[in-house]
Amino acid sequence: MAITPIKNLKEFSTANDRFEGAHLLCPGCAHSMIVRELMNCSDDNLVIATNTGCLEVSTAVYPYTAWDTSWIHIGFENAATAAAGAEAMYKARKRKGTLKDPDAPVKFVAFGGDGSTYDIGFQWLSGAVERGHDFTYICLDNEVYANTGGQRSSSTPIGSSTTTSPAGRVSYGEKKMKKDMVSIMAANGAPYVAQLAPNKWKIMAKGFQKALATEGPCFINTVSSCTTEWKFDPKDTVHITDLATDSLVFPLYEIIDGYELNILYRPKNILPVKDYLGAQGRFKHLFKPENKHVLDEWQKRVDASWERLQRREEARI
Amino acid sequence: MKGVCATEKRGTKEIGSEELVGWDAVTQGVVINSFEGNATNVASLKQEERNYSDFSSYTATVASWRVVKPVYNRDICIDCQNCWVWCPDTSIISRDKQMLGIDYDHCKGCSVCVEVCPTNPKSLLMFAEHEEIEKALESWPTKEK
Amino acid sequence: MAEKYDLQEVEVWDGNYAAAHALRQAQVDVVAAYPITPSTPIVENYGLFVANGYVDGEFVMVESEHAAMSGCVGAAAAGGRVATATSSQGFALMAEVLYQASGMRLPIVLTVVNRALASPLNVRGDHSDMYLGRDSGWIQLDAFNAQEAYDMTLCAFKIGEDASVRLPVMVHQDGFITSHTAQNTNPLQDEEAYAFVGEYQTYQEMLDFSKPVTYGAQTEEDWHFEHKAKQHKALMDSRAIIDDVFEAFEKKTGREYKRVESYMMEDAEVAIVALGATVETCRLAAQQLRAEEGIKVGVVAPRCFRPFPFDKVREALSDVKTVCCMDRSSPGGAMGALFNEVSAALYSTKNRPLVTNYIYGLGGRDFSVEEAKRIMREQKAHADAGYITTAIQQFSGLRGPKLGFFETNRR
Repeated sequence: MAITPIKNLKEFSTANDRFEGAHLLCPGCAHSMIVRELMNCSDDNLVIATNTGCLEVSTAVYPYTAWDTSWIHIGFENAATAAAGAEAMYKARKRKGTLKDPDAPVKFVAFGGDGSTYDIGFQWLSGAVERGHDFTYICLDNEVYANTGGQRSSSTPIGSSTTTSPAGRVSYGEKKMKKDMVSIMAANGAPYVAQLAPNKWKIMAKGFQKALATEGPCFINTVSSCTTEWKFDPKDTVHITDLATDSLVFPLYEIIDGYELNILYRPKNILPVKDYLGAQGRFKHLFKPENKHVLDEWQKRVDASWERLQRREEARI
Repeated sequence: MKGVCATEKRGTKEIGSEELVGWDAVTQGVVINSFEGNATNVASLKQEERNYSDFSSYTATVASWRVVKPVYNRDICIDCQNCWVWCPDTSIISRDKQMLGIDYDHCKGCSVCVEVCPTNPKSLLMFAEHEEIEKALESWPTKEK
Repeated sequence: MAEKYDLQEVEVWDGNYAAAHALRQAQVDVVAAYPITPSTPIVENYGLFVANGYVDGEFVMVESEHAAMSGCVGAAAAGGRVATATSSQGFALMAEVLYQASGMRLPIVLTVVNRALASPLNVRGDHSDMYLGRDSGWIQLDAFNAQEAYDMTLCAFKIGEDASVRLPVMVHQDGFITSHTAQNTNPLQDEEAYAFVGEYQTYQEMLDFSKPVTYGAQTEEDWHFEHKAKQHKALMDSRAIIDDVFEAFEKKTGREYKRVESYMMEDAEVAIVALGATVETCRLAAQQLRAEEGIKVGVVAPRCFRPFPFDKVREALSDVKTVCCMDRSSPGGAMGALFNEVSAALYSTKNRPLVTNYIYGLGGRDFSVEEAKRIMREQKAHADAGYITTAIQQFSGLRGPKLGFFETNRR
């Protein structure tokens, strides 16, 4: 197994990057922080499938590829199935003895944005997880269809102004809370699911390594702060993500075998949700007096979700 | 602008400047190979030890995206590697646990490295793209109280 | 190691069972599939082969046809032999990925049991799904009976996987008429069949870690056109390989196949062009009509629907007076596809025969020998008159007032 636990950042920095620069992601994009870290977590060979989206259109534009590993993109919805197909081929060829290097360790990984994970690729992901393929699916969750210019997805949270749920004179933007994909995937039978964030690099690395080492389908929702659609300065990507995890808007936790929930990060000082919301242009309108109820609603929901997580951690159900 | 650990191929091509070959010369099935020759165990090789193909984006540059650039001050740096782990453009060159410098062929000037730098004064600061490195280092601020 | 399946010299197989055996004998590495009428028995029978130890490869039962083809693309890019089966709505659902498979030049074999497309929902055979695939960049072979469903499936692997082709291949058979009709079939023994198909030759596989490969890159206006042109050329050039493979198959089995099959065409004055099981109906009608009424009629059938055998169609029909193209698909506001393509091929011939179009057999409506004979007589009347005496597009076997479109202006 070429997955060795990472002690500290200095040691981690000796990893040799397999995700190359001159990709076309925006300056300050969290996607590449997450992808780089996943690829640096293991020396194993990787077969990576990617759904259509920012990551895909920015990293494989002919005649260039940013990927130093085997990589495939088919459509918007089917990276999970592409990875599953490749994994099935690996099993068949291993059995038949037709692999060029049968002993080479390999991991199968799929990436998708929240649009392709929560919405259009939901069925493909659910099917691949149910069938038990040995792969890790990582959702780069920026809560919006960023690649196409900022339309709402079922991951877009309440009050967010997007191009298809815009805030206006009579609307405060998106009306619904986001879908709870982590719980859905745990209930779908994934032996390991987690929500991780790149600001907490060590927790994220550990979670990635656990997922890669776990046999069977693993699902990880990663917080990918989007400078373009969340409307903050590119330099602040890590800072905004700090606000997300410290306000518990994005609590970091894992669920093993569907019941063993572990909270992975407990902020020393829990920040008010409005600190997180106030730092982003997409929530600017919520600070008008008439939208105060949305801010209140937000805080209420985050509190409730944190309470629920803690109870689930205790109860082990 | 060639810096540390640069290979002959790093960042030599402006994106969009590649030769537009005819239908007979494009790759079959739009398939692209990242390396020339045998690239077994690429994870064990540093970038400068790899034999990148012309199709790897490593051989292209996005330097023209930048209006401001990070400048690195070795004298202050504690090699914490914060900049390395959070750089979205694989542009912090770290070797053997030491920060060596910036890959200006691939850096887009987002300033994340400066934001996450914990030293006082910072070991990385943003300067105008046209500013000379020596001048930038001369004008470095002193420790903030 | 998969067990050998003992086969008789003559087996009584329907088209589905024949196709399933061909997939088994080709030792496919990954079958990712989803069941749909009338192709379901291909998947079921293959599953039974797996359950009884006759298959070494992986059998992945996915959650939709879109996922079936997606899994096939992922598996094929990982370097191995891949196949699946579908029909109708399932075919429509996988349409997106069909284009991706051919664009990536992945030699997947898809056995299509032709069926009508809704709405209204219909499970019976027509060619709507086959026609839907005609611009998808796949090679499309057409089987007219169970034996041919078996033969074409074996040939499909050898054609698609040829290093100079590397394209996906569909093998079509008619829903129920072919897929569910048991007929005498002469299979090859397992080892003979596998020897014919040959070992899979990998090319740019994702599991060769000495050569990392990127599949499915984006191309915009600077590059897209060149890639599509290269793909089109490969499809056009596959004609020579198809001929070679058919020739090799004949040497092995004595069964002769051509990209365009001609029947009683040597002295024909009137020709019917058809696809699928209808070809056999028309052949019988032609035989009878020659014997009974002395009408010199022949039957031309594109065995290879894509790449469209423009050259061979011209050769086959250059000397006739009238041609009737039989389209078993609702043309949706146009002339039938077969009519359009055959007419286009004939337009640049010296003789330029009169060409008419029949829409027939939609949703599994029966097409009889008698009806074929009636149509042939009608073509003979056009030939004698020197112009098309009816509407150019007509409907065969349709209830209600006579329906037809466009009159000739060559009167």
